[in-house]
Amino acid sequence: YNIESASVTGLDEPEDSKKPDNTAFKQQRLPAWQPILTPKSVLPTFFIISFIFIPIGAVLFTTSDGVREDFVDYTHCTNSLVPNETCASLRENRTRMNEPCTCVVNITLNTPMTGNIYMYYGLNNFFQNHRRYVKSRDDNQLVGTHVTNTSISKDCTPYRTDTVNGYQAPIAPCGAIANSFFNDSFTLQQEDGNTVNYLTTGISWYTDHTVKFNNPFPSNNLTAAFSTYTKPKFWNRYVQDLDTSNINNNGYKNEALEVWMRTAAFPKFRKLYGRLVNTNLPSGTYSLKINYNYPVTAFGGRKRFIISTTSWMGGKNNFLGIAYIVVGCCSFVVGVALCIIHFITRHKNVE
Amino acid sequence: RTIYFNQPLEEQTFLKNEISTGKYNFLTFLPLFLFEQFRKVFNIFFLIICILQQIPGISPTGKYTTIVPLVFILLVAAIKEIVEDYKRHRADDAVNNRKVEVFRDGTFVELAWTQVVVGDIVKVVSGKFFPADLILLSSSEPQAMCYIETANLDGETNLKIRQGIPATSEIQSSEDLLQLHGMIECESPNRHLYSFNGSIKLNEDRLLPLGPDQILLRGAMLRNTKWIFGVVVYTGHESKLMKNANRAPLKMSNVDRTTNMQIWFLMAVLIVISLASAIGSEVWKKETTQRWYLNDTGTGPKGFFMELLTFIILYNNLVPISLLVTLEVVKFIQAIFINSDLDMYFEPTDTPAMARTSNLNEELGQVKYIFSDKTGTLTENIMEFKKCSVAGIKYGEGISERPGCYFYDESFVENLQTKYVQSNYVHEFTTMMSVCHTVVPEKEGNFRYQSSSPDENAIVKAARNLGYVFCVRTPTHVVVRCQGKDESYEVLNVLEFSSTRKRMSVIVRAPDGRIILMCKGADNVIFERLSEKSQFKFETENHLRDYARDGLRTLCFAQTELNEAAYKKWNDTVYYEASTAVVDRDKKLSDAYEAIEKNLFLLGTSAIEDKLQQGVPETIATLSAADIKIWVLTGDKQETAINIAYSSQLVNNDMSLVILNDSTLEKTKQTMEEAICDIRKELTCLEEAPETSKFALIVTGSTLQHALHKELEETFLDLALSCKAVVCCRVSPIQKAMIVELVKKNCNAITLAIGDGANDVSMIQAAHVGVGISGQEGLQAANSSDYSIAQFAFLGKLLLVHGAWNYNRLTKCILFSFYKNICLYLIELWFAFYNGFSGQILFDRWTISFYNVFFTALPPFTLGLFERTCSSKVMLKHPQLYSISQSASKYNAKVFWAMFANATVHSLMLFYIPMYSMKSEIAFSSGKTGGYLFLGNFVYTFTVITVCLKAGLESGTWTILTHIAVWGSFAIWLIFFGIYSHIFSILPLGSEMLGQADNVMASPVFWLGLILVPPMVLFRDLLWKVFRRRFQKSVVERVQELEVEHIDPQKTILDGARQSLSERAHLLRNMFGMGRNEDRDRSSSLRSLQDANHGYAFSQEEGGVVSQSQLIRQYNTSNERGSSY
Repeated sequence: YNIESASVTGLDEPEDSKKPDNTAFKQQRLPAWQPILTPKSVLPTFFIISFIFIPIGAVLFTTSDGVREDFVDYTHCTNSLVPNETCASLRENRTRMNEPCTCVVNITLNTPMTGNIYMYYGLNNFFQNHRRYVKSRDDNQLVGTHVTNTSISKDCTPYRTDTVNGYQAPIAPCGAIANSFFNDSFTLQQEDGNTVNYLTTGISWYTDHTVKFNNPFPSNNLTAAFSTYTKPKFWNRYVQDLDTSNINNNGYKNEALEVWMRTAAFPKFRKLYGRLVNTNLPSGTYSLKINYNYPVTAFGGRKRFIISTTSWMGGKNNFLGIAYIVVGCCSFVVGVALCIIHFITRHKNVE
Repeated sequence: RTIYFNQPLEEQTFLKNEISTGKYNFLTFLPLFLFEQFRKVFNIFFLIICILQQIPGISPTGKYTTIVPLVFILLVAAIKEIVEDYKRHRADDAVNNRKVEVFRDGTFVELAWTQVVVGDIVKVVSGKFFPADLILLSSSEPQAMCYIETANLDGETNLKIRQGIPATSEIQSSEDLLQLHGMIECESPNRHLYSFNGSIKLNEDRLLPLGPDQILLRGAMLRNTKWIFGVVVYTGHESKLMKNANRAPLKMSNVDRTTNMQIWFLMAVLIVISLASAIGSEVWKKETTQRWYLNDTGTGPKGFFMELLTFIILYNNLVPISLLVTLEVVKFIQAIFINSDLDMYFEPTDTPAMARTSNLNEELGQVKYIFSDKTGTLTENIMEFKKCSVAGIKYGEGISERPGCYFYDESFVENLQTKYVQSNYVHEFTTMMSVCHTVVPEKEGNFRYQSSSPDENAIVKAARNLGYVFCVRTPTHVVVRCQGKDESYEVLNVLEFSSTRKRMSVIVRAPDGRIILMCKGADNVIFERLSEKSQFKFETENHLRDYARDGLRTLCFAQTELNEAAYKKWNDTVYYEASTAVVDRDKKLSDAYEAIEKNLFLLGTSAIEDKLQQGVPETIATLSAADIKIWVLTGDKQETAINIAYSSQLVNNDMSLVILNDSTLEKTKQTMEEAICDIRKELTCLEEAPETSKFALIVTGSTLQHALHKELEETFLDLALSCKAVVCCRVSPIQKAMIVELVKKNCNAITLAIGDGANDVSMIQAAHVGVGISGQEGLQAANSSDYSIAQFAFLGKLLLVHGAWNYNRLTKCILFSFYKNICLYLIELWFAFYNGFSGQILFDRWTISFYNVFFTALPPFTLGLFERTCSSKVMLKHPQLYSISQSASKYNAKVFWAMFANATVHSLMLFYIPMYSMKSEIAFSSGKTGGYLFLGNFVYTFTVITVCLKAGLESGTWTILTHIAVWGSFAIWLIFFGIYSHIFSILPLGSEMLGQADNVMASPVFWLGLILVPPMVLFRDLLWKVFRRRFQKSVVERVQELEVEHIDPQKTILDGARQSLSERAHLLRNMFGMGRNEDRDRSSSLRSLQDANHGYAFSQEEGGVVSQSQLIRQYNTSNERGSSY
């Protein structure tokens, strides 16, 4: 009997034993690869990098080179109605701020542009990325929810509500971003006087237009939908009047507004204004007629009008191409250097 | 307190016999845990950030972006705490539920320890721990004596004797117990282990006094005694052991301290850049006031302050919020690796290594000094009779092949049986082995012996194995069964052992009627008392020297025949007077002994091995090769300590011993100064490196007291540090701690203390790292240690492999955690230059706050857990590799700032490359432009992948988990990005992120950047690594390469080490001044302060309750022993 019980306890023992498990993880024997970075082992990496990067760089560079882009800075353009007066100074003059001002500037295309052509306005020294500016919006409102003067986001202050007939009406759209909506408009004329027609739709992000911006109920009757709201303080029209010709480009769903609301990363930025589908613009001088409404000179800002084609990778920018080529070349030089080092080392070893 | 026992009527309320060492229970967990957490500056900092974020209008990242990760991190920490505390509770439960027999209602019932209450009578059997502090009533031994082992309490390994008072000693059965009623009065619970005052009143009798001799303390173990009865007096946390258990002090590792410093640095950096940004913001506002499109710019002095707070919130993540919790989890898992290391699992006692704290894992990689206890740490505390020399002939040189028998020599046995001239001596020697002692036999199949001296035990056992079986002790006789026939020796006198006499003798009447005095003791003492005619002196002396060199404990055996009349005269007059003296009895007795112990004839000498634990000399050699200094601090005698120093190869014969054994401050000072002088000369004369310092310092406790005096401290340290080995003997627990403190304070080096007994606790707690030897149950040293291992030899793997690995891993993990945060959050600073210092973030608020907890959380773990420069085999084979972690060369302020600079450059590149790639802002062929967040997501994605790849670049080893961490992190980000970009269509959340992923990934610029940015940013890092390996190859790298090529790297290491050696040699020389031109003769006259000739060592309890001679008179093992049933 004793022997039996002893053997039973003997069998039980492994279970009670505190002996650690012999697993690769616990015993720290996981199979591992030890990269040893010697000139010899790293050589191929550098050469591979250089052989891949230099051609890519070259392609990118030529691609970017193929993009045509021209711009004109019209900040201080002359008022076409009042000679010797710039629109800029008119806009700075508080008393005459609301007087209309147009100017005409010339823009020269040195080479013809073909295919899809894009028109941009550009602002300089305009801090759309300022913290307090960036958050001064109500995405809940823009998505189409009705807001009241209490439920409207506090982030919009001081462009939250405005007094209408002694009543605090919520502003639509509220906030500093919407309030400072860019409101210059452009007409481009060819030398022969023909106006270049462009589209102002299809310029915003698809997700913005379909999800992020929606008009409140009833979205098929914007006058009714926005009846309880008032316009932003600096606007001279209501949000439902932005594009009365196209209900899908009106109200919050106005694509120019959507583009503006996507705040830029840097104080110098451009935003898409219009596009020309499969058009052929011959080289020559075009005249650009501008409805000059937007004041920028007070804070030292500048305005530009840009016209550009694109490539598969976007606009004109040779930085990437150059960067690829530089990195590729550096890799090549290092690779060669390592080769020499390796050769010398081997030589030494033989000695 | 007053305790009534065996009186069930009395309701007595005392503390339950339950211990709890857990930190928390259900109710206290939350408050205590939060208190613990928010004591850390680190967490307070983030708590403040959380609060700041609640102030409306100043947070650039919303209200909840710090509190969510903080709560997450606290949750992880809480889970870790709960797991650890649960383990503690489990361990407590195991102790609390041990069984003991308790006398209830007239019979003994087996109950758990928790159910034992004050006043209970318990029965404890041999080999069991006492469940509480008990008053000894009676035992299976005569006169209620019992042996206890108190190693747990005071680290002393010899058995102690406790004796019940005579009034209770007759209680032998449960019937007797039933008759017993009474009351005990005693002091209230206290922590004094060696004092106890009380009285007992039995059955309405008068009060009888109780003292420390009657108390059996919890934590001690009953030994060599079948059973005892005892009354419970102190239970649970009121027991003296628990009163003494103070919680181990919280130790902080060197790396932790450095990390804390760096966190402060980072906070300073944070304040500086916040201030700079706030000033920048003011400047920007001053530029023009005409920015009509802005709603509110926050001007004025209040605005400046608010702006400052905004920036502090913006940059707060420069301090990685996840760092502490990452480190805790990493260390926790590292501890699991230590716990589950099979190489540190000791099969015989089923003991794995155990990391009791995970705070110090990396400290193990930096140890410079090891302070080791001797008994139970270096040695197994087992004495084995290994060799002997009889009549000038050595026996036992071969290796015994018989199991359980360490000494067996054919020629010895042959000599015993034949009738050569030799045989007589051999016979007498063996007889003496079996007669001259104070051991008590116990019949249990074969004979077992009880003794408070392990040496005697070994000798008697050896005699038994040789056929001289000591089988019966009666008060007057000992019976030795010799070759089948019993021989009875009448014990006339026992001349007791004391450490001043260094010998013990018995006077016996042999069966043939002769009176023989047998004396065994230290060689010098015996040799002084040898008769002129005694033979073999020369040979024996040679043999003694050989034995001593091997570190064996020697005892010389001598005897002489006494003439009947002379003995009678001595016994009746000299001895009688001394033994009945009232004043100075000890002194008179030893004089009386002296008078008769003379004219001895030398028989031979025994050599007992104080058995070293397996692999001790090898481990010591390995650790020395890793440039770790080992000091042995032992409570044992000088002789024993020196023996062990020799046998463990800590000291060898080429070394000169410097022995400090002076009783006054002045003399100590003088000796030390002379010794330093001598060593200096020796060193300066040596042409080669003084690595081969040939000095070993031996210090005794009494001298240490002076040496540790403020005045001499420095001199002592100088001396100790210039010796190759230091052995301190007869040191008290406090002194052990003092020595550790001394080195800790003055050497700026990491110290490790290793020990097994309670006397080592103070030293274990004082040292940077405390290691306990575990294996026997419930050892206090192991409990108060930071790491416990079963064998000293495991220290090699613990330090050289786990320590070095953990250090390397943890430092990489910390540096990387800093790196990744600096990389990302400095980008906000670069962006501030373009947004008018408004505090705008470039990224979405939640993507940044999840940066640390999700997208880059894994790579630090792989670095912290799986990084491995060399395999464990290589690390152990080449202890020199330890110096990398030991010298902290991979983690210090310089390394930190280099990393900081690198991270700054990386963040610049990570910001400007995407910025310039997006210069035209037209990121699509459709002519559309992005916004700030569009660029932000570019930058963020590039940063995540770059940072992950950087972790990969830092990894010396890529396991499957590294791949998961590097690629997985990036994948997690992409998945999160994809989901987050669409969540606004379902929930009112992340409106800014809506459609970002679709558009970012639709942009060719993004993909081109993704290919370009990581190689560009990491180009320099990679190149540097290659060049460093090519031109400034470190020892590790060489070893790695050779390991891969399967070449033995020994030569490389030696080459590498040579340089550092000569450097150190130089240093040492400078330290010791320029004494080169001095006369060499004097230095060679370096006192060889003591020869290593003396291998004598003997241990026995002195000054105990019952003296040995009294003790043996009380046994009569020829009768059946009393049983309790």
